[in-house]
Amino acid sequence: MMRYLLVLALLAAACPAAGQTVSQRGFLEGSGLVYFRPTATDDRQLIGEALFRQEASWTPAPWLSLAGAFDARAATDDRVDPDWRFDCADRGLKRPAACVRRLSVAFRRGGLTVEAGKQFVRWGKADILNPTDRFAPRDLLDVIDNEFLAVSAARATYERGPNTIDLVWSPRFTPSRLPLANGRWAIPAAGGSPALLAAGTLPGGTGLPVVDLGAIFPSRPQAGVRWNHVASGFEYSASVYDGFDHLPRLDASVNQAAGRVEVQRIYPVMRMAGGDLVWPLRWFTVKTEAGYFWTTDDRTDDYVSYVVQLERQSGEWLFVGGYAGEIVTERRTSRDVPLASFERGLTRSFLGRGFYTIDVNRSVTFEGAVRQDGRGYYGKAAYSQQLGRHWRATTRADVLGGEAGDYLGRYRRNSSLRLTIRYSY
Amino acid sequence: MNTLRIPMIPPALALAAALLVTPREAAAQDARQVMVEAQTRTTASSQHYAGTLQVFDAKGKISDKRWTFDRLGSHGSSKSVLRFTDPPEVKGVALLVVNHPDRASDQWMWTPAIQRDRRVALQDRSQRFFGTDFSFEDLEERDVDQYDYAMDGDETLNGAPCWRVVATPRKTKTSQYTKSRVWVRKDNYAYQKVESYIRSQVVRVLNYSDIQNVQGIWTGRTLEMTDLRRKSRTVLRLEELKYNLPMKEQDFTLQALRRDQ
Repeated sequence: MMRYLLVLALLAAACPAAGQTVSQRGFLEGSGLVYFRPTATDDRQLIGEALFRQEASWTPAPWLSLAGAFDARAATDDRVDPDWRFDCADRGLKRPAACVRRLSVAFRRGGLTVEAGKQFVRWGKADILNPTDRFAPRDLLDVIDNEFLAVSAARATYERGPNTIDLVWSPRFTPSRLPLANGRWAIPAAGGSPALLAAGTLPGGTGLPVVDLGAIFPSRPQAGVRWNHVASGFEYSASVYDGFDHLPRLDASVNQAAGRVEVQRIYPVMRMAGGDLVWPLRWFTVKTEAGYFWTTDDRTDDYVSYVVQLERQSGEWLFVGGYAGEIVTERRTSRDVPLASFERGLTRSFLGRGFYTIDVNRSVTFEGAVRQDGRGYYGKAAYSQQLGRHWRATTRADVLGGEAGDYLGRYRRNSSLRLTIRYSY
Repeated sequence: MNTLRIPMIPPALALAAALLVTPREAAAQDARQVMVEAQTRTTASSQHYAGTLQVFDAKGKISDKRWTFDRLGSHGSSKSVLRFTDPPEVKGVALLVVNHPDRASDQWMWTPAIQRDRRVALQDRSQRFFGTDFSFEDLEERDVDQYDYAMDGDETLNGAPCWRVVATPRKTKTSQYTKSRVWVRKDNYAYQKVESYIRSQVVRVLNYSDIQNVQGIWTGRTLEMTDLRRKSRTVLRLEELKYNLPMKEQDFTLQALRRDQ
């Protein structure tokens, strides 16, 4: 972290003061949530949380720009780490109370841009699920209200005419943050994975205490390349990735000598070849994205994941709807173990999103997913109103339902109502 | 960047041609010449302004927004980036418009909160741009070659004598509008008013006022767009207006949208 700051300070000092541009924005947000029912792992039904986010960018010279973002947060439950140490790695089980959300420096010359540091890399063109978005781990502490985490990477983007080549090299792995084992979004005990970390629970009911041995993070870098082509009236891209799944496999083993079950988070090797397409037609826009995933890991599946969606704006409405599917080409996991992967968990579903602008200050949004076999669903509806230049109030209702054995259905006790007040500046 | 070339015609040939054309064709030719001249006079290598917008809905509610606008080139051969600077919650949202001389523009919207760009499809161009009364299509640069013209008479608007020209989009130009009626001032060829029609109904009216000569280009510094169906209007004031600033091609790309957030 200090090395980052020192390098950035030296670069800044080396640049002339003239022509500099500085931009900043931020917000302070407070939310109150009511969960209608307790869960087996968490009986708290009233939650309060606060988030402060400050973003800034600085362009000391036309060829150089710096961007940073800082988060500070608190919550009445245990999703936020109570330790107020400054976190740059974002590898912990809980959200850090204070962290560098982003810090990167970008150089450009002609059509070439090289950006290094902690940054967001977003691939793919679909809106709800992006199989090819491989450098985009998520914070899944609230499964259906997740947000992306930045990765430490070097990224070179070369744009010439309608073609863009994007090379990404990430020397340090950033995992997705899983639901807490003792939180309300934990996967039920029979489901394996994170719930194994909940003391005293294990499939088969050994009765032995469960000990978290932590994570084994990959030591080698991840890399990917993407080519994007903007044609007249449509655009498409192809991408390949060699790295690791940012969602872990949880390995549990019984240590007879110690009389305990030991659990470790392993991030399997993942390779992906995929592509995406945006094709605006007369009545709607087709967006599709697909990736083929294969691995050398003997306990992880090979599969194809794909999304086909239609988008249409009509009057004050914006609709996005589609289907996310999956074809397992080589199964190495048991069918009985419910998926822990958010990305795979949302496949075999119909997905949709809607946005309606009531007037210049008010809007309504809808989002939902329904499993194709009807075993699980979630829906979100939010009403948002701007109050003056800085304030916005949003109230949102989340409804989840289905069967316990389904990825979405198992969160059926997590329906909630929330009110969020945000001050932006 | 200038796409217009007005060829020199030998006087004898011009006279012969003039004798052959019908009055109606001559009127159409006059209309086109007016529009060509209007376009020529507003041609610049680049444009920059800081826009202040006030949106008034039917009940008189006001929303204030600000954006910066940079354009490289002029009319059908131009590219522009529009980036919101206020209110704070939309700061950084940007629109890239790549105009074409012979067809509708390509447009992409960048949303920093989700770090994604979205291509604005042709069928979505009639929608309002971020709660203003400008549609995505209204943010395109018009080019004379995208329309056929007919003279619709003369009229004095705000004390300024104007030509009234009807512009009908050619087949290659995909447009939500069936036609537009444009008032062009006779003294300086500046636009005074544009009425946009869907079939026979006027749906949007754009009024130009505070017309000033900025670096030799007569420009309306205040634009008022009225959406007659919604009964709302947006007033856009152009501040810090400058033409012919040095700008680079690479600042008008999808990468630049992401990079310069």
